[in-house]
Amino acid sequence: MSYLLHLLIFFQIYVIVAMSLNLLIGYGGLLQIAHAAYFGIGAYAAALLWTKLGIGFVPGLMGAAAMAAVLSLLVSLPSWRFRGDYFVMISLAVQVVLYSLMYNWMDVTNGPYGITAIPRPAFSGSTSAIQWEIFAIYAIIVLLLACVLAAAKHSPFGRSLQAMRDDELAARSLGIPVRRLKVEAFLLASALVGVAGGLYAAYVGYIDPTSFTLDESILMLSMVIVGGTGNVRGPLIGAAVLIAIPEILRFLSLPDAVAANVRLLAYGLLLILMMHWRPQGLAGRYRFE
Amino acid sequence: MVLPRIKWHANCLSPHEKINRRKKTLQILLNGLIQGALFALMGLAFSLVYSTTRVLHVALGAIYALAPYILLASLNAGLGWGGSLILAIGFAVLAGMLCEEILHWPFLRRGAPPEVHLIGSLGMFLVLVQVIAILWGNDVQVLRNGVDTVYSFGDLRLTRAQVLGGAGAVTVISSFFLWLRRTELGMQFRAMADNPVLLSLLGRDVRKLRRLVFGMSAGLVALASLGSAYDTGFDPHGGLDAVLVGIVATIVGGRGSLAGAVLAGLLLGVIRSEVVLFASARWEQAATFAILALILFFRPQGLFGRMLRLEERA
Repeated sequence: MSYLLHLLIFFQIYVIVAMSLNLLIGYGGLLQIAHAAYFGIGAYAAALLWTKLGIGFVPGLMGAAAMAAVLSLLVSLPSWRFRGDYFVMISLAVQVVLYSLMYNWMDVTNGPYGITAIPRPAFSGSTSAIQWEIFAIYAIIVLLLACVLAAAKHSPFGRSLQAMRDDELAARSLGIPVRRLKVEAFLLASALVGVAGGLYAAYVGYIDPTSFTLDESILMLSMVIVGGTGNVRGPLIGAAVLIAIPEILRFLSLPDAVAANVRLLAYGLLLILMMHWRPQGLAGRYRFE
Repeated sequence: MVLPRIKWHANCLSPHEKINRRKKTLQILLNGLIQGALFALMGLAFSLVYSTTRVLHVALGAIYALAPYILLASLNAGLGWGGSLILAIGFAVLAGMLCEEILHWPFLRRGAPPEVHLIGSLGMFLVLVQVIAILWGNDVQVLRNGVDTVYSFGDLRLTRAQVLGGAGAVTVISSFFLWLRRTELGMQFRAMADNPVLLSLLGRDVRKLRRLVFGMSAGLVALASLGSAYDTGFDPHGGLDAVLVGIVATIVGGRGSLAGAVLAGLLLGVIRSEVVLFASARWEQAATFAILALILFFRPQGLFGRMLRLEERA
């Protein structure tokens, strides 16, 4: 049972990740590759707030969201000027720079050694019920954020974002403030993924920079691509599929040394296959034009 | 407040020490240039694909990782250095063409947007790197044992790996440019960079040209990879940094300017070795992207690129 709960908690975390990335890719048409870096920024910000300053669980998450949102300017401001290929390269650059910051800024992030002993959220002190409690807390947070995003889809904000995705020039000529819209989209998406990072740190209890590499960004990308972009249920399906894959591979009883490699191999293959046969994803509505 | 110690120090050096310092500066510049020559190969390879096909060929990083493993495997199988080299480059070229055959050509025919090409290429990168890691393990391997032979040129010292890598890169790059300028096929390459549709309307086989582009870029990358693998060893995951350098060199050099990418590669090599000297090797990668940010901010068309009209930017 605790194994299933463990998977469900990871599913909750990655649902937030996939939904927030879908906001950028599916609604905004902005191919963000630095998402794992913002996940990591959120994880580090929350972990440092909890361990160094000893503040509460929810304020820590808010700090994580704020930190990731502020740093999202690194991608959103260049997105005013660069589109398509160049924007992708910039988000790639941001991913690498933020990762190298996490890896090398010893004084703050403790570099490759990471941060240990991150406190878990719990009401009672009992260890047997802790997973249930975390599951319940995370479920509330996920539902809350999902409602925000579902509401955003049909709000003026979401509609103008989709208009911008379909034709930026036409959207501008209709008076949609495209620049402000991009900044807002990145702010919202990065804040959400920052919260997810904080939840990850709190559940796992230990973070180090290797969890926030470009490979991880590609994993998040494949969740959205596989599940489908541009609607609410796509990311849900994507997160479920990509979390299920390593667990299914587990039953093949692969040697430990190659298990991680096979998992990444499967993700890569999925990406290629989806691009060939279903570029809009399993349940998606939008595909890159 | 910290005083500018180094400058102050340099002013009161004895003449002898001043000469030593100059030698050291020269040596580091030379090291940077040789490193830069390998970067220039990466930049050239990436820019070659990008300028002719508009594909962000991230999978080049996996080909970079593949080449030294093939070389090592065939060395272990008893082939000599010559045969192994040919085999390694040959495999790399095949892998490059494979990317075109199973990804980019079908996508092009379907009229897929650049994002699809990129995501496919990312997938290919993952698949190839993981296959390499499964076949040969995740550990660092070396092509030579012990300390490398050192040659002295006056006051400057170079290892054999540096001489081989630098000389190889310079030869390949200069003969590539000669080929591009002097032959009919080179002209077709340049024409394809200009307008692939018109080229095919004129009766040239664009598919064959594209295959050649992907093959050649893979070959260039394999050379860069073997040069650096002989110097410092290799592992399955080193390709990412290499391809990022190639991307940065392409942008810094200017979109569509092959010579620009080569010069930008050299520049990156020099700047990165200065960063290692004055700061730390840990900030090398961050420095690369800091340069990219500066260029994009102040000169988005790149050092040697032309400003294009919006509708010309394919």
